[in-house]
Amino acid sequence: MIEYLRYSLRTLAHHKMRSFLTLLGVIIGIMAIVSMVSVGAGMEQALRKKLEDLGSDKIVVSPRIAYGTSSILLVDADAEALENLQGVAFVSPIYTVTSDVEYGGETQLLKVLGVDPEKAEETFGRGASSYSLLAGRWLGRGDRYKVVLGYSAAKDAFPREVSVGSRVRLHGREFEVVGVFSKTGDRDKDYSVYTSIDVLREIFGAGDRLTFIIIRVEKGSDIEQVRQRVEERLKRRKGTDKGYFVMTQQEIIQSVGSAYTVVKVVFGGLAGVSLIVGAIGIANTMIMNVTERRREIGILLASGADRMHVMRIFITDAALLGIAGGAAGLALGYGVSRAINLAAERYLGEGVLTTSVTPELAVFSLVFALLVGVVSGLYPAYRASRLEPVEALRA
Amino acid sequence: MAISLRDVVKRYRTGKVVVEALRGVSLEIPRGEYVSIMGPSGSGKSTLMNLMGALDRPTSGSVRIDGIELSGLSDRELAVVRRKKVGFVFQQFNLISKLTALENVALPMWFSGVSRSRRMRRARELLELVGLGHRVHHKPSEMSGGEQQRVAIARALANEPEIILADEPTGNLDTSSGMEVVRLLEELNAQGKTLVVVTHDTQFGRRARMRVKMRDGQVLEVER
Repeated sequence: MIEYLRYSLRTLAHHKMRSFLTLLGVIIGIMAIVSMVSVGAGMEQALRKKLEDLGSDKIVVSPRIAYGTSSILLVDADAEALENLQGVAFVSPIYTVTSDVEYGGETQLLKVLGVDPEKAEETFGRGASSYSLLAGRWLGRGDRYKVVLGYSAAKDAFPREVSVGSRVRLHGREFEVVGVFSKTGDRDKDYSVYTSIDVLREIFGAGDRLTFIIIRVEKGSDIEQVRQRVEERLKRRKGTDKGYFVMTQQEIIQSVGSAYTVVKVVFGGLAGVSLIVGAIGIANTMIMNVTERRREIGILLASGADRMHVMRIFITDAALLGIAGGAAGLALGYGVSRAINLAAERYLGEGVLTTSVTPELAVFSLVFALLVGVVSGLYPAYRASRLEPVEALRA
Repeated sequence: MAISLRDVVKRYRTGKVVVEALRGVSLEIPRGEYVSIMGPSGSGKSTLMNLMGALDRPTSGSVRIDGIELSGLSDRELAVVRRKKVGFVFQQFNLISKLTALENVALPMWFSGVSRSRRMRRARELLELVGLGHRVHHKPSEMSGGEQQRVAIARALANEPEIILADEPTGNLDTSSGMEVVRLLEELNAQGKTLVVVTHDTQFGRRARMRVKMRDGQVLEVER
């Protein structure tokens, strides 16, 4: 095996330009696969992280937005009805809206999350990598026209930095800034504004409507059992189990994961087409190779090689071409992926689009390139091995 | 007998034309013999040579190399016969240009499964034997014709074959390096190898103990 590799390396080195041109197809194909799939994988990772931030003991109840008008409404009474369920430690209803926020004469549209002020810290301030305060304090019991700003909402959204004690106008009403969060790296979170759910709903005339409910499970309770209880309770209240979902964090991650699998497959498929072109390139060169190297084949046969030796030599050549193209494509793809990352960070902001070349992706692309090489080398190698010694030597 | 041929016929089909390259050749070459095969081009010398080296099969008749009848053998078994019994020396040297002298000489041993270290050691010894111990890492393109042909002879000896088949070995060489090659081959013969040389060069051909003259695919006469 090593002997065949040694021999193929000689061949590759002897025809550098031709080898390179042959490789180009595979290089481009693998580069495209690696960079495109890395985008999908990056999106998935970012989302997973976001969801992990929620905490592993949380259940989220949310209407299915995709169902549009048929989506059911969640109201305060639904949240209250969940509080006394066995295993439920804590229920926090959330109302969100995108609102105009004005500061220093400048108006911005920001995402505003209304939460029960008393539950704010427990809702957002606990868990692995959740919010921490940079300045000021959390919302607390009795807070009405008070807000806590995400890091970017305070630092970047307005021409002048908003600091604790400043006043901002939210949909025409004046609010006092009582706190600013540290940077989370999640653009969505960092540009959000947090205030009292009751005040927010009054301003927007939302009555007792909720956007979603966060439930924390008691320590030691089985989260899946609690989820089922929540589901049953809501089904009884709403008369249906359609139009909303009750999900544990794990399930959310799974469903998001499968969505991104689709993205990856589509991207990967597109890139795969270019790889097929690369494969045809290898096959083409290999077939020309057989014609061009007839004399060499003759010499090999006269030196005592049998057909299997010749076949293996040519397959090894093709495999080596494949894997060399794969390695180069992987390196370039990694470069492209990094470049996308940097560009996204600069023009879209941090954490909006990250790419990730996972070890699995790297291994997959190399194996795939090797396979492309071998498969496209099979027929040419077969032809090479069928040559008659005398004919080959006459070339 | 090193090589024995009986009623060997070889026909080629080139397009629609059937060429009869050999029309019933019988020949016995004893072990350790020094044989020259001469004749005009197209007389079937090279075809005969290919058959004697198991590079080709006869259309009919029997070819035996070192007692092994070739007619029933598979491609794979033919390759084994070439590997073990025969060393080839060609007019165009037929070295592999991407490999060094050492690697070219070691090549036949690869196919017979000799370990790399033993291969390289023996290849080096063989190159020293042909007077090229100082050029082992040169590629064919960096060597003169005479040197290349000596590398080819070293390669022919790699698997210690019984028989050396040389097809116009001096055809592409000047007189002095041609003489060197002739001397080298004769030395091998003196050490016991059966040497068969196809040549146009009557000077060279006359040196052989057994001289085969061919014409029109037949043996015209055998001189001893």
